[in-house]
Amino acid sequence: MNDPAPTVGARFVGQRVQRKEDGRLLIGKGTYIDDVVVSGMLHAAFVRSTVARGRITRLDVSAAQALPGVFAVLTAGEIDKLGARYFNAAMDQPDLVYPDNGLLCRKDVRFVGDPVAIVLADSRALAEDGAALVEVDYAVDPPVVGIAAARTMPPVHPEYESNSVGAMEMTIGEDIDGIFASAAHVVEDEIVNCRQTPVPMEPRGLLARREGSGELTINIATQGPHMTANHIAGIFGLSINSIRILAKDVGGGFGQKVTALRDELAVVAAALLIDRPIKWIEDRLENLTAASQSRDETCRVRLAFDSDHRLLAADVDFNIDYGAYPHAVHGSGGLTFMMLPGPYRLPAYRFRSSGWFTNTCGEAPYRGPWMMDMFARETMLDTAARQMGVDPIELRRKNIISKADQPFTMVTGMVIDDVTPAETMEAVVAAVDIPAFRREQEAARKEGRYLGLGIAVAIEPTAIAMGTYTSEVAHVRVEPNGKVTAMMSTFSQGHGTPTTMAQIVADRLGVPFGDVTVVEGDSTRTGYGSGAGGSRQAIVGGGAARVATDMLADKIKAIAAHAFNGTPEDVLIDEGIVTIKGSETRATLAEIAQMAYFDTDRLPHGMETGLETQYRFRAPPMVFANQAHAAVVEVDIETGKTKVLRWVAGGDCGNLINPAIVEGQISGGVVQGIAGVLFEKVSYDENGQPLAATFKDYLVPTALDVPRLEYVHLCTPSITPGGFKGVGEGGAMISPPTLVNAINDALAPFGKNWLNMPITPDRVVIGLAEAMGDS
Amino acid sequence: MKSAPFDYVEAGSAEEAVHLIGEAGSDGAILAGGQTLMPLLALRVASPAVLVDINPAADMAGISESGSGLRVAARTRQAHARKDPLVARCLPLMVEALGHVGHFQTRTRGTIGGSIALGEPAAEMPALAVALGATIELRSLRGTRMVPAREFYVGPYTTVRADDEVLVAVHYPAWPDGTRTLFEEVARRQGDFALVGLLGAIAVDAGRIARAGLAWFGMGPTPIAAQAVEQALVGTAPGDVDVAELTRVALGEVAPGDDLHASEQYRRIVAARVFARKMRALLAEFAA
Amino acid sequence: MSLHFIEFELNGQTVDGMTESRRTLLDYLRQDEGCTGPHAGCEHGVCGACTVLVDGEPMRSCLMLAVQANGKKVETLESLAAADGTLHPIQQMFREEFALQCGFCTPGFVMTMVALDRAEPRPDAEEMKKALSGHLCRCTGYQGVLRVIDRLAAGEGAGK
Repeated sequence: MNDPAPTVGARFVGQRVQRKEDGRLLIGKGTYIDDVVVSGMLHAAFVRSTVARGRITRLDVSAAQALPGVFAVLTAGEIDKLGARYFNAAMDQPDLVYPDNGLLCRKDVRFVGDPVAIVLADSRALAEDGAALVEVDYAVDPPVVGIAAARTMPPVHPEYESNSVGAMEMTIGEDIDGIFASAAHVVEDEIVNCRQTPVPMEPRGLLARREGSGELTINIATQGPHMTANHIAGIFGLSINSIRILAKDVGGGFGQKVTALRDELAVVAAALLIDRPIKWIEDRLENLTAASQSRDETCRVRLAFDSDHRLLAADVDFNIDYGAYPHAVHGSGGLTFMMLPGPYRLPAYRFRSSGWFTNTCGEAPYRGPWMMDMFARETMLDTAARQMGVDPIELRRKNIISKADQPFTMVTGMVIDDVTPAETMEAVVAAVDIPAFRREQEAARKEGRYLGLGIAVAIEPTAIAMGTYTSEVAHVRVEPNGKVTAMMSTFSQGHGTPTTMAQIVADRLGVPFGDVTVVEGDSTRTGYGSGAGGSRQAIVGGGAARVATDMLADKIKAIAAHAFNGTPEDVLIDEGIVTIKGSETRATLAEIAQMAYFDTDRLPHGMETGLETQYRFRAPPMVFANQAHAAVVEVDIETGKTKVLRWVAGGDCGNLINPAIVEGQISGGVVQGIAGVLFEKVSYDENGQPLAATFKDYLVPTALDVPRLEYVHLCTPSITPGGFKGVGEGGAMISPPTLVNAINDALAPFGKNWLNMPITPDRVVIGLAEAMGDS
Repeated sequence: MKSAPFDYVEAGSAEEAVHLIGEAGSDGAILAGGQTLMPLLALRVASPAVLVDINPAADMAGISESGSGLRVAARTRQAHARKDPLVARCLPLMVEALGHVGHFQTRTRGTIGGSIALGEPAAEMPALAVALGATIELRSLRGTRMVPAREFYVGPYTTVRADDEVLVAVHYPAWPDGTRTLFEEVARRQGDFALVGLLGAIAVDAGRIARAGLAWFGMGPTPIAAQAVEQALVGTAPGDVDVAELTRVALGEVAPGDDLHASEQYRRIVAARVFARKMRALLAEFAA
Repeated sequence: MSLHFIEFELNGQTVDGMTESRRTLLDYLRQDEGCTGPHAGCEHGVCGACTVLVDGEPMRSCLMLAVQANGKKVETLESLAAADGTLHPIQQMFREEFALQCGFCTPGFVMTMVALDRAEPRPDAEEMKKALSGHLCRCTGYQGVLRVIDRLAAGEGAGK
């Protein structure tokens, strides 16, 4: 692992500093949502639709209501009294039309799992006993399952004219059809991804309680406490000041916990209607079938090349299955459209897309929601290379941009800078030793073993500092005892911000790492910040922490200079000790803090007392990072099983705050990508019944299914404070095309391309049988 | 995911278990290792009125020599059987197969008898009992009966065991010294049920195959004995077996279906390859 | 539904209480004993986050009834660190190898490794690695966990 040299003078940034939060998590003292217990709390269980599409013809809660231990059974009739309507303030414009079927279903149900009633009881077991006694009859209608059905069948939502939503069409460049007509090479294929679900190991959950007339306190497994407060305030027409969102340890999010969904909001509604604390802990059955799902997308791509294999144009048709209630209904293309040209010169581009409502679980973000940009482009480049008879790396070399080409304006208008696509690709190519691999591959094929090498290259917008994601705030203070508290609007679900933010603060202030405590997870303790999402916290939170700390250091220097007759430029802070160059003077930070808080006559005239600063950092809208990954696989053609033998993860995410945490983000994402290519798929039958409702059928990879990753770090600083870039999502987005390219390289001798996910043993064996003309 | 209410009673012995389940009848369920029943309870797929827990029944655990074979009491933990010296000596194929049953953390509680009684068609233990010609000892207030494993399974998760019967032990016959075994399981991940599974044993006497026991798992609604294959093998010299022809015979005995993880066609294609490769290797061992 | 009095050893202390027959050991540990190390990640025995040691062997506490713990010895993650806060060698390796992120699955992984570490005879590296198939982690891609297993297989750990 080739770590970058730490910044000059840095003591913590750039180092593999052990995580602060591990101290509690490793001894069983984390506080996840189900660990929060308050007196008098009721437990909620949902009655969920058992049919994908139908009208409720009878709903009888009397038997459930009469069960001892059941406190109440709420249906849409009660919940609707609050007038709440689902929308997504974080993602969408306020005037968009949303599917509107209440937080609990009113007259009809729209997917298997649609919440129909909520049972509140003394225990979860009793709530489930009650739920089993709620009687619901449905008049079943034929459900819309899949995009093809969505195109022709009646709308899932009566408030829409069709099932198409958020459709867009963009053309950049003249006479696209003419370019394709005259191009030396035209390559066309379709990438069919499969529906996956994020599967945080801790399912969703919340504990909501009204406290007096004007306060609502909610502990919730969320990715961003402030954003959740804002969202819930908007949904229920409450003031954000009256809502306190608390979260401490959250067992993963990956996009699923970025927005509270209808069922979570129904729990909040129940707490508003009934003056008892209400706890709902999602179970795994609900999580796999009724939380949120993603990546049910197809992308048809045509690429035109000149005779020298230079890209001339791309023509893309992209479709997303949104399910019944997507978390947001904004334009379907979004970042997929913006980023699909990637780090390559592309003169002309046409892009069409649509989302499609179906009677299935709703779509919500999953780590790198626009991953089809990389998936479609990088698999199509390999497809094109095979079709044109050129080496896939040579094809990329012909078209890729390097650092010297920047700033570079993409065909979509995005200006990219400070990225190293060509350089990172070459570093990975060197690490792999491709000539050696090709020799090994050839020798193996002679023995009937099929090895393959895949490579994929991408640039990735991180921070995405727009709208609700614009900024983060840091409030840093030296307490009277000389220890440092950093109140951050960032939030970790395993990301390690309590550690990385402390590294930045300790570095910039000149104090021991152990003296810094980062506080997050309470919407009332700092100003607004959106938390995790968009690979943003290192940049936006890190930038805020760094600038706020620098301001604090300046204040300490001004106080010390004044008190000890020096100049601020001569004041040094190191290991929590303040000294003045050329002087014997020495003070602890505690002594300076005592002056600032309690002995304020010693402060410079007019200086604000106290030792605290606050800075809100507004990051540039996009801070670009880039990756190039390579994978080596062996496909067993007897059983169709793929084994990943080697994985080289190259990337440039700027200055690394903590390389071990960066690598953890990359490897976690890579394995989620491997999961989507080889294992995981949410399936429905023709009646809209989910087929993978447990971990016996939804196959999450285990430690035996993953390679040991090798990392190649290039560290080109961004222009933001500290030179940080994001890293949270890139691994999950770049790994699917990397792996698919490797599998298709392995199976290239059979003259067939696998672009339909997941590439299961079944698909390989059946596909090979077809290719070889036998069965 | 919390179970519906049920009553719980402990059986301190096999005899108590027989009485308790006899009283409960079809409203009762026997709780052995619980590695399958507990999830079914949590999902409310199963909701018995009373659970009869055989874990306290000390006489229902343990492995002993019985006649010339082995008697494995039903509640013997999979992990214990896997480490048992008698099993290692007399039933090495069980040791190998157990490595594919669930996981390290489920074999500590999961039982041999529980796995056999459940009748998961893609599981290893039922197929092992079928292949090796084991006999299943069922006891009820009506008496004890011995059912050959080959007559025990009637469909997915369906056996001839009556509601009032307790599976108390499985008797594995002895196989002669020099018996060679084969085992192959194609699964999505370690510990998953088989997409294609094949196991068995072959014994040779005086240059000819004297005994053959083979079974498929994951290849039909029950574990499937490869009876026609066995008949074709017995009496033949290992070197004279036409494996290609035998593979055709073998594929005539399976009845795979489609599920989420593999199609019928996949199972047939891969089963043929696995069978041919493993059979060739096994026969070659005798030649060597 | 039957109610049962149970008494068992939990992390070296004798505990007792009443439990409904249908409650799992996992729910009992978490709710009645305040023992929040084991986590409910799936409640159907696959994810491994609830793994505890019962009479020294790793088991899914979601697949055991609380009443079945009667008379047993149960050990959870909480039992490992020393009273002065010193981490158990396996916990320490998890920290050093960045083998956790969100930490939700961690209690199960650690308890399995404690069982491997104590096992007699000590399993080989392949067997140790195979034992990891009984646990799911969604954050780390298992890289740190595999490094801990490497160290355990190389002889590190607490031993007996």
